[in-house]
Amino acid sequence: MVNKQYQKRIEHRKLNSFQEYKTSTLAWGASLLLFLVIFLSSIDIASGEINYLSMAVSAVFLASGIIQYLVTLKVKKEILKYDDIKRSTRIIGYFLIPFAVTGNFFMAIAGFTLIKKEKTIEYTLCIYSILTSFTIMLISALNLFKEYVSNTFMLGMGVLLGITLFYVFTMLMVSKYVNGKHVDKKLIPVAIPLILSIFIGNVFAFILGLIIISKVRHKDEEISIEWIDVLRRLFRNYMSVLGMFVVTLLISLSICSYLTFDYSIAIDNNYSAILLSPSLEYPFGTDNYGRCVFTRIVFGARISLVVGLISTLVPIVIGGILGAVSGYYGKRVDNIIMRLLDVLYAVPGMLLAIAIVAAFGANTMNLILALSIGSIPMYARTVRATVMSIANQEFVEAAKACGAKDFTIIFKHILPNSMAPIIVRATLGIGGAVLSTSSLSYLGLGVEPHIPEWGNILKIGSAYLETSPYLAIFPGLAIILIVLAFNYFGDGLRDALDPKLK
Amino acid sequence: MIKKLGLTFEKMYKRPFYRVLVFIFGILSLPFVFIKHMKNKQNNDYSKLRGSIYERLEKDGVKDEIYNNAKEQLKNKQSFFKKELSAEEFERQVKDITNKQFNEIIDNELNIVSRQNQVSDVTFCNTFIEMFSNKLFLAASIILSFPMYILILIFSNPYSKYIVERLFMMVFVIFGVTWLVFTIMYLSPMDPATNILGQTATPDQVAQFNSIYGLDQPYHIQLLNTFKNLFSFDLGKSYVGNEDVLSAILRKFPITLQLTFASLLVAILIAIPSGIISAIKQYSSFDYMFMLFALLGLSIPNFWLGLILILNFSIKLKWLPATFVVGNWKTLIMPSIVLGTGLAASVARMTRSSMLEVKNMDYITTARAKGLNEKKVITKHILGNAMIPIVTVIGLQFGGMLGGAAVTEKVFNINGIGSFIVDKQFIPDIPIVLAGVVYVAVIISLANLIVDIMYSFLDPRIKSKMKSY
Repeated sequence: MVNKQYQKRIEHRKLNSFQEYKTSTLAWGASLLLFLVIFLSSIDIASGEINYLSMAVSAVFLASGIIQYLVTLKVKKEILKYDDIKRSTRIIGYFLIPFAVTGNFFMAIAGFTLIKKEKTIEYTLCIYSILTSFTIMLISALNLFKEYVSNTFMLGMGVLLGITLFYVFTMLMVSKYVNGKHVDKKLIPVAIPLILSIFIGNVFAFILGLIIISKVRHKDEEISIEWIDVLRRLFRNYMSVLGMFVVTLLISLSICSYLTFDYSIAIDNNYSAILLSPSLEYPFGTDNYGRCVFTRIVFGARISLVVGLISTLVPIVIGGILGAVSGYYGKRVDNIIMRLLDVLYAVPGMLLAIAIVAAFGANTMNLILALSIGSIPMYARTVRATVMSIANQEFVEAAKACGAKDFTIIFKHILPNSMAPIIVRATLGIGGAVLSTSSLSYLGLGVEPHIPEWGNILKIGSAYLETSPYLAIFPGLAIILIVLAFNYFGDGLRDALDPKLK
Repeated sequence: MIKKLGLTFEKMYKRPFYRVLVFIFGILSLPFVFIKHMKNKQNNDYSKLRGSIYERLEKDGVKDEIYNNAKEQLKNKQSFFKKELSAEEFERQVKDITNKQFNEIIDNELNIVSRQNQVSDVTFCNTFIEMFSNKLFLAASIILSFPMYILILIFSNPYSKYIVERLFMMVFVIFGVTWLVFTIMYLSPMDPATNILGQTATPDQVAQFNSIYGLDQPYHIQLLNTFKNLFSFDLGKSYVGNEDVLSAILRKFPITLQLTFASLLVAILIAIPSGIISAIKQYSSFDYMFMLFALLGLSIPNFWLGLILILNFSIKLKWLPATFVVGNWKTLIMPSIVLGTGLAASVARMTRSSMLEVKNMDYITTARAKGLNEKKVITKHILGNAMIPIVTVIGLQFGGMLGGAAVTEKVFNINGIGSFIVDKQFIPDIPIVLAGVVYVAVIISLANLIVDIMYSFLDPRIKSKMKSY
């Protein structure tokens, strides 16, 4: 009995040391889960009607789930038997990648991880860069079913295709010229366009470019660079990478949609297509003015992200300075600042935001202002606590002894050393800000009603809950997706930055 | 009893803030004490003792010795730093140092001698304490200045002292909140008069409206009036419908509070067990599942969940009514689930992480080693010691729920304080918004106070710290 348990634990540990097994297990689980969700939603319980389109989609997911399950079994068997995966099995990975076309990027990731034996962080980043731009192409391609596409659609798709091919080329280069910790100088010309990828929002490619350059510049390969180590730890956590993937995808999509999506479909009224159910032309249906909900959600991502980012950045800067000053000087300054912030802290953020927005009118500027003011005390407290613990350390004393000014000590020595908790707080805070934005928009106190924002779309949807519930369901799912992604990413980041694990 | 009174009084006297309070509250008893103090001062054994010690030490040449030492030291210092002082300045500094050191020596000596002879200094505080043993004075002064004795009574118990001090701070916070919200409403470009009377109102009507509600007065007078009203618990009348704000809020607040407590119950019932299970069986599929649900619960917007529940349970299945009716518990189920999920998620995550921290401590191993059964180890030793962060999260979320309830209340059409404020926002009905926010702030501050006091019952370390507060 004990022996059996022991055996089981050994097997478990062995399997978990293989990333191929982990991603593959998650892929079949996720595929079957998606199948279940789509299958159940394709049948209307009350009327018994069946939506054949989504039924077909669910069948594809079922099939891919089963295939993936068989692959997983094979991988598991080989790991337990030989402690390695055979070359022939790895080739199967090539057949899993095309499933990305069906939108099942779990399988694509599993395929990519299965192909290559030695997975450097550069290779992983390549995979996610390719997947990001490819998924954007897929989402944009849905526009082909519409009556007309935007003028720059073909140009946009061409650019995206070019970029994707470039990433594939990078992947080949990386798998050839990156060996263990060594990065060849030949990769430098590739790194520069990779860094420029930040302009289309592809964070993965951007990070990859930075890694290549900083690794080439560091002569000694044995010395590890700290931020790359943090990244490596982050990429060990599959769920947080998925969160990062979704965030990157949405950032990138909201930039690329300038080219491939037509803004007029999102805002112009079209009375010939009012309250249509989801179809290929309108994947998420249309609202009471005949506007395509899918396009509106795509454009809404931009607003949600911008509001979320700015209303997290502003309180970090203000609260950070206040917290740093009060934590560093202590005593009376601390008392005054913290008591003033207590006043802000006593009012729930939501209520304060409601008051501010209502007083100054509902528009995006005021919304950002309202959300920022409410969360200043939270960041100030976080920064104050970390600064207080750092301010007594030796290196600060040394800086004081050298005659450094207080300003220099705070901003050059203390703050950079207390970044970790703030970064984690901020990542989790963006999700909260997105939630608050949509809540306020739902109350009619957020973004102006004509702008496609997720809360606004939901507000319209709530009025047609009985007849066309999809109007309320899809924007809600979008909100959940982005907040969940930020939360997972934040969780992973916290684990990666945790000094206990170093 | 009287001794304890004296001790507490001495402690209070040492704090400048409390000293002022004692003088203010006990102003009627002060003359008696002052007379007694003057009398005591005339035949002061203590100062006589000090004088004799001073003479004795000076005679022994202690002072001259110190003087010479100080001179030598200062000279050395000068030569080391290569900084010349003028002769006058030099002499002054030496004298300063000498006096300081000599006084120290005298005080030390005095301390020892006075304790031997049981002579104490005549200070105002000591006279006061001495007077307490005079029964006649005690009786008279309790009648004359009972607020002072109440203050002493409060001070003598650390808990009551802590609570009263916190409540005192709360008053400032409440005034701060009032000022903040009032200023925001004052700066608002929206004009309540035109919003209520309509665009067609004549300037006379607008002026009349403004003068009725005091809106034509300058900022500081309006603010002062608001503060005055806050003191007298008169929150004014609303612009629309002219209803009394206080009674309106008292009518609506219980509904919000009822909803909050119901969702608190739902949250705790879900969160604590699931948090415990995922902490005890870390990395099991239970753990992964619960934490996935917890993160999902944090990410779902309240109003969306509410809409989905209404869609499924009210529209499709027709099990539960979609709108809230007072007194009908069935209508409370969906709102409290909606409000509860967010709270449950954060409580479950906190339970898990703080239990994981405690789980591998040495004293848990000890508890297991001495043969305690697993159930007791988990509930009493692990959960008991992991309780503080959990209680904190619940307390903090309580406030968030009161504020966030506004959205949920709108979804389910609940007539609570949140939707009340939101409805009046658009006008903007300043008295109502102000009163609503202040009310919520008061409740949140009280909740935080209760949480802080609960700490001392949960953690003996905090309890002992509290006792010496």
